[in-house]
Amino acid sequence: MRIACPFCGERENGEFTYLGDASPKRPNFAVDSGESPEGVEDAFYDYVYLRDNVAGYMREYWYHGGGCRSWLIAERNTVTHEFRSVTAAPGVGAAKPVQAGE
Amino acid sequence: MSGYSGSEPLGRTAALEGTTPSARSQAASASQSHRLRSGGLIDRQQPLQFSFDGKVMSGFAGDTLASALVANGVKLVARSFKYHRPRGIITAGSEEPSALVEMRSGARKEPNTRATTQELYDGLVAQSQNRWPSLRRDFMSINQLAAPIFVAGFYYKTFMWPAKFWEKVYEPLIRRAAGLGKSAELPDPDHYDKAWAHCDVLVIGGGAAGLAAALAAGRAGSRVILVEEDSRLGGRLLSDGGEIDGMHAEEWVRRTVDELASLANVRIMVRTALFGVYDGGVYAALERVNDHVPLPGPHQVRQRVWRIVAKRSVVTAGAIERPVVFPGNDRPGVMMASAVRTYVHRFAAMPGRKVALFTNNDDGWRTVEAVQQAGGDIAAVIDPRGKVPAEYQALAELSDLRVFSGGVSDVKGGVDGVRGVVVTDNNGRTQQIDADCLAVSGGWNPNVGLSCFHRGRPVWRDDIAAFVPGDSPKGMTTAGAANGEFSLGACLRDGHTAGAAAAAECGASGNAGEASEAGDEVYAISPLWQVKAKGKAFVDFQHDVTASDVTLAQREGFESVEHLKRYTTLGMATDQGKTSNITGLAIMAEATGRTIPQTGTTIYRPPYAPVAIGALAGHHRDENFHAWRLTPSHHWAAARGAVFVDTGLWKRAQWYPQPGEKDWIESVTREVLAVRNGVGFCDVSTLGKVDVRGADAGTFLDRVYINAFSSLAVGKARYGLMLREDGIVMDDGTTSRIAEDHYFLTTTTAKAGPVMAHLEFCRQVLWPELDVQLSSASDQWAQFSIAGPNTRKLLQELVDPSEDMSNEGFPFMGAREVKLRGGVTARLFRISFSGEIAFEISVPARYGGAMAQNLMIAGRDLGVTPYGTEALGVMRIEKGHVAGPELNGTTTADDLGLGKMMSKKKDFIGRVMAGREALTAPDRQVVVGIKPLDQKRRLRSGAHVVPKGAIPGPETDQGYVTSVCYSPMMEQWIGLGLVERGRERFGEIVRIHDPLRSEDYEAEICNPVFYDPEGARQRG
Amino acid sequence: MVDYLWNTQSPLQKALVPGRHGAAGAHVGVTLNEVRDIVLVQVMARRGKAADAAKAAKKLFGIEAPATPKAVTGKTATLIWSGPDQFTVIAPRTDEASQLAAMVQVFAGSASLSDQSDGRCLIRVSGPRGRDAIAKFSSLDLHDLAFPVGAAANTSVDHTAVNLWREANGADGHPVYNMLVFTSFADSLWHTVVDSSLEYGVEAASARAA
Ligand SMILES: [Zn+2]
Repeated sequence: MRIACPFCGERENGEFTYLGDASPKRPNFAVDSGESPEGVEDAFYDYVYLRDNVAGYMREYWYHGGGCRSWLIAERNTVTHEFRSVTAAPGVGAAKPVQAGE
Repeated sequence: MSGYSGSEPLGRTAALEGTTPSARSQAASASQSHRLRSGGLIDRQQPLQFSFDGKVMSGFAGDTLASALVANGVKLVARSFKYHRPRGIITAGSEEPSALVEMRSGARKEPNTRATTQELYDGLVAQSQNRWPSLRRDFMSINQLAAPIFVAGFYYKTFMWPAKFWEKVYEPLIRRAAGLGKSAELPDPDHYDKAWAHCDVLVIGGGAAGLAAALAAGRAGSRVILVEEDSRLGGRLLSDGGEIDGMHAEEWVRRTVDELASLANVRIMVRTALFGVYDGGVYAALERVNDHVPLPGPHQVRQRVWRIVAKRSVVTAGAIERPVVFPGNDRPGVMMASAVRTYVHRFAAMPGRKVALFTNNDDGWRTVEAVQQAGGDIAAVIDPRGKVPAEYQALAELSDLRVFSGGVSDVKGGVDGVRGVVVTDNNGRTQQIDADCLAVSGGWNPNVGLSCFHRGRPVWRDDIAAFVPGDSPKGMTTAGAANGEFSLGACLRDGHTAGAAAAAECGASGNAGEASEAGDEVYAISPLWQVKAKGKAFVDFQHDVTASDVTLAQREGFESVEHLKRYTTLGMATDQGKTSNITGLAIMAEATGRTIPQTGTTIYRPPYAPVAIGALAGHHRDENFHAWRLTPSHHWAAARGAVFVDTGLWKRAQWYPQPGEKDWIESVTREVLAVRNGVGFCDVSTLGKVDVRGADAGTFLDRVYINAFSSLAVGKARYGLMLREDGIVMDDGTTSRIAEDHYFLTTTTAKAGPVMAHLEFCRQVLWPELDVQLSSASDQWAQFSIAGPNTRKLLQELVDPSEDMSNEGFPFMGAREVKLRGGVTARLFRISFSGEIAFEISVPARYGGAMAQNLMIAGRDLGVTPYGTEALGVMRIEKGHVAGPELNGTTTADDLGLGKMMSKKKDFIGRVMAGREALTAPDRQVVVGIKPLDQKRRLRSGAHVVPKGAIPGPETDQGYVTSVCYSPMMEQWIGLGLVERGRERFGEIVRIHDPLRSEDYEAEICNPVFYDPEGARQRG
Repeated sequence: MVDYLWNTQSPLQKALVPGRHGAAGAHVGVTLNEVRDIVLVQVMARRGKAADAAKAAKKLFGIEAPATPKAVTGKTATLIWSGPDQFTVIAPRTDEASQLAAMVQVFAGSASLSDQSDGRCLIRVSGPRGRDAIAKFSSLDLHDLAFPVGAAANTSVDHTAVNLWREANGADGHPVYNMLVFTSFADSLWHTVVDSSLEYGVEAASARAA
């Protein structure tokens, strides 16, 4: 399998590691504003464990650890292994995202 | 082509030695009873000697082992898999199911080599397989008498019960009886390697279509790789000749190859068989670099696995002629018609003098002319279609051919080959014809394997009665015979078009030129899969699967082709059913009343051809099995005789044996006592080290660790613990603050890589708003732990006198740069893993060896002792510090006794999930100390903890021992364990049950901090 | 009071055996060099400061820092792209302390620096068969069209990170590739490189950076 890193170009998949579904967002948990950990437990449960088992295109995290050390978000077809797009995570390099966590 | 030399006796090749080359050449020719006097792509000036089953024979350069055997009149070359039936050479290519031999001897012995692809070399030694004591007199052939037990599904039916018979009776029996060749039992002395190649257009197969494709793509200017498994390019053109662009096919091949070789953007790889197609345009091929010579030259490789990355590929892998199933179709001397032509035309070797031809298609008829031109006789042509094809009518009349409308219903003969062929004509009349060779053609199967590796399903074409590629993998096209285009003209056009298109898709804009031209001969076929008659009729020659096995499988309900394959083993041998699969499923189709496309094919999977594991491993064997990492003091430690242990990829000094020490425990005990009573040092450079920089570095670490780091003062170190998001402990380590915006984080040795990836994830994905930069500093620093009550004395020797090394000047958990005598600057951290006064000192890695030496000098009067990872481990267990066996992916911070570190004032990774009921349950297994009541007893990790008096089992199991050591301070074996409600049970006697080692004894649960529980020593 | 000597060591002190190895013959297929005594600093732009970091680089080295996988050589240093918004500075080691101090000063506020002078080992592969040897352990396409002079890549060899870049062709007209490998892996990777080159004939040596 070949993965086209937006920075390095197309590379052999051995340079990458896979983390899985890129859709779940880590819930915000603001202790200062009085939120209790119990209050966000369900949201964290979803974030950590609940995943759709998609047959088709899925947004996934891939880490180019054997290359430029960028975390990437790839749209990959889980049936054909075809990649539709590979983009950088919001905080790659010195990028300054407009909004946290996006 | 002229003159067939007739039957002379085999020459004694030993007599050839010491004669002139031309004399040798003549003598070699004379010894080859079935060699034509002229013609063939062989070099008669280069005679080669070889031996088969100990018998010395000769052939010529350009021969395969199979063609040389044919030239020497050898028909019997193998015994079949189950029934040990005598078998001969069936094909002339890599699809060969039958003529498998054992090549070479000793450590280089290689079983199951196809004689049809093995190039002949001088001194080649081959043996037949699967026979005892000899090929002609094989005792195992009595298996034929026991044939009923070897029918389809015999493994399943015969060896079902009793279960206890499996290990002792059935398995050894099956293994002895059912196996083809025997592997060498010595390590392979040859070198193999792997390499990458890249191109725009990969052309797979160098026959007419492949050469046309490569030429078009090459002329257009794209980067082309052409792979061909044979040693020569040309494919069937080398065997069937023909006329292209008004010249002989061989001349066209020569010119085309010359032009390809002249193009800098074209790479030709012969002896290279493509065996795998993978996602994203990655292909795998095996190059047999030196299989055609006796031994690879010095530093040369035997075989090389290529991974080829191609934007486009054109499969021009041709087609495989298929056998017809009829009784006796496996007799030595029954051969594919195309193979007969190959031996005659390409190798000038005559498979028989009186050749009978059995064909259901026009292409088979080519054989008539080929045999006649070589001086052989056509005994008869048997064609079930009942009519001589128009193209061959003149020839049939001219040579007064005997033509039968019907089929072959039996073959007479034995170990010496075919003697006669029984023909049953379409009216049911039977007669026997004298022949010593039967050429068979059941039509051609396009080579669809490569195009189907991504679960593509081939498509049936009625006009050629064969499957052609359906949905091919992305970027792949098929051309020529592999695409069902069987005429030479069509192959050339199809190849040219595919090559030009592939190049254009890769952006090449050059002129691909015009396609070469040749005639479009007719290929008419009337499918015939099987002649039904009494006797064993084989579908799969290599696995001895007969037509009746297929129908039996159907009667027993195994109708799906995938079930058929598993039940009968059809198509499961090393040839992967190249000559048998389609025929088998055609018979199944008839038995079930379905069409062939309805019956479908089994799934095609790589490898297309067998690949030695050694070739796949390449360079990565023995000491190069995997990469290794060396610490900065490695060579210093090695010179002192350290024993090394593999810790992940690292080689770490485990202990430093001294003369007279009887075992490692004695060495380790000495090292521990030296530290506890004096001073010692240990290379801890393997710890992961990460520079965390930026304005938000402190905030970042607050979110990563369960405890706070933004509050850590510059110049101080703190122990940190990080969790996974599910609340389980990920890793621990000491992190120091070097400057306001610079932390130096350490990880465990094992988790350095995963922690770095995790930190980058946090930085890039979770909190991109933070100003944090990460870089691995693991290899920049040589880091040593110096420990023991005399540590400060040692450091005072080494450190520049201006540095304040007093307890106040450098307090516990202090961290700062210090100058060393001699001008080097080091980072010094006052942290302790051993429980003694201890520092970790870091210098740039270039000083690693010097640092070890200088520590020895500075501590000479103090009896300084280098210690290894074992002593390090002993001291951490004595102090109850957790490490890998406790941070094992199941434990929480509280399980480790570190629950109090979890901050309540902030969010951090894992905080919320760590609060779940199951992770905070009071009956969780937590870290405790364990010591056997019998002080002589050796504790072992992995042993289970059950209550005293309980019967060990899943219901009573309460935990297990995680880490053990012999403790010089406690003077007994001690350990850490994870035990249910352990902290409430200090002093309780439990039962230690170790079923693996059959041990059972009692031990006391205790405080995990065995030594100096107050911690006075490390702060002093 | 004893004097402490701080002899330096190369990670290839045992692995690199200078001289001829592998296939004999008139021609050396692969030339391997360890390039010693370098200053090597990783420069990572601070959040939102990529442009400032590039400006600082231009000021100090007089060249544009590479924004894509390339190696750019100036009078005093070569800058090699090593990830988005970061690059590695390589310079012959002259006065290490002042070389580092100059960088700290110029990049203050725009980039974080990480001194890796001891964390990496620089191996140079050249000669007529250098590219063939590299093809055995690297999955990169090093064809002239795909990897011209000045091209750089962060890649993996034997599952460990390697920075590979191509400098100007050697005097023999053949390509010259540089590989920056982790110090602790250097011994192992050197064996891989040598083993991959043996069939072509190898000449090995070490030299000071110049
Ligand atoms: Zn990348």
